Amino acid sequence: MSFITEGFKEALALLLSFDREVYTIIGLSVGLSLTSTLLAAIMGIPFGLYFGLKTFRLKKVLTRLLYTAMSLPPVVVGLLVAILFSRKGPLGSFGLMFTPTAMIIAQVILVTPIIMGIIFNASKEKGRSIYNMGKTLGASRFQVLLLMIAEMRVTILIAIVTGFGRAVSEVGAVMIVGGNIKGHTRVMTTFIAMNNSMGNYGMAIAMGLVLLTISFIVNSILYHFTVGD
Amino acid sequence: MDIELTHLLKKYQNRVVVDIEKAVFKSGQICGIIGANGAGKTTLLKMIAGLEPYERGTICYDGKRLADADHRRITYLSQTPYMMQTSVYNNIAYPLKIRGFIKSQIENAVHAILEELQIEPLSDQLATQLSGGESQKVALARALVFNPEVLLLDEPTASIDQSTIKVIESTIAKRNREQSMTVITISHDLDQIERMCKEIFVMERGKNNVYSRGNHSER
Repeated sequence: MSFITEGFKEALALLLSFDREVYTIIGLSVGLSLTSTLLAAIMGIPFGLYFGLKTFRLKKVLTRLLYTAMSLPPVVVGLLVAILFSRKGPLGSFGLMFTPTAMIIAQVILVTPIIMGIIFNASKEKGRSIYNMGKTLGASRFQVLLLMIAEMRVTILIAIVTGFGRAVSEVGAVMIVGGNIKGHTRVMTTFIAMNNSMGNYGMAIAMGLVLLTISFIVNSILYHFTVGD
Repeated sequence: MDIELTHLLKKYQNRVVVDIEKAVFKSGQICGIIGANGAGKTTLLKMIAGLEPYERGTICYDGKRLADADHRRITYLSQTPYMMQTSVYNNIAYPLKIRGFIKSQIENAVHAILEELQIEPLSDQLATQLSGGESQKVALARALVFNPEVLLLDEPTASIDQSTIKVIESTIAKRNREQSMTVITISHDLDQIERMCKEIFVMERGKNNVYSRGNHSER
């Protein structure tokens, strides 16, 4: 048991020493996750709202596909992106393998269905009522869209926070497409996995604490808005 | 500015829900639509409001086919109106804000309609926490605040108390009298239809028959 206590002590010392490598990894992790969540939100929110509102023949099929995509295995996504961007792959000429860009692409594939699925569900439930209200009060299409975003702001926030949580905590896909290269593609989760396999529990716990703190901050923001609502 | 329906057909999958050869809702009148559940009353109102597409036929307003711009002058109030997650004041101000009214105009108009419907004390309350009757009054205020030319009402007083019904009915009658607002209302309350409407449309399985008040009384 002592190695756990030692690990925590080491973790605190490491964090308080403002180790450059640790903070580079934290910065890259948060930056990549924010970027991929933003891109996923830009695609997922409008499509989620639209598909939730619209009635069309293949809606049930789309719903099932979307819900399946919400639980895509990260390793499979990582493998798919790696095949696409590997040197011999169809997109190999872009030279994106083992770059932060490839990691963002993998995360966007994982996060977009989550954001779209949450928004889609909410839009299916109350989107029509909001749309009808806006339209019968004389709102233009753009004004109706703004109204829907305003009325579904809490759901949108939940979707974004959930998506960010998935992106920042994901390890399988970023490990495959990023390669865990020090100072280049090493992020918090791959750092924890690597240090765990090397027996450096202090380093792994330190990064685990940072991940938990980020999760706590993000969820506190969400709690503030939902309770305030 | 009559509303004219010609050869109007609406289907849900293969079931005909509205099939009207010809009908006219006269300008400045209060018209009632009655009929059994599933007769197509709500669908018809939603078609006029632009909320339901239809397979065939035309809906004309003021002699011209209804366009998006006309829908800014026509409003629809459902039996269970959606309340925005903000104050009653902001809910009522919304139609004026999207029309670009300035703050002082909005304030004056909202306070006038709050007073007219006797809901001034609700002004700062969260609209999603109102009772059924209060919600219906707020929704009516929101629908009337921009002075629409046509008001479509889908059972506006179902399951609310008599005093609220009285206020709603008198407000609608006043707008109709003073501003020649055309009103088309659905109701299962035949006494209310009798009190309010000059003309009554009876719908049966999507088709309509028109009765004057006299005819209705004789039925």
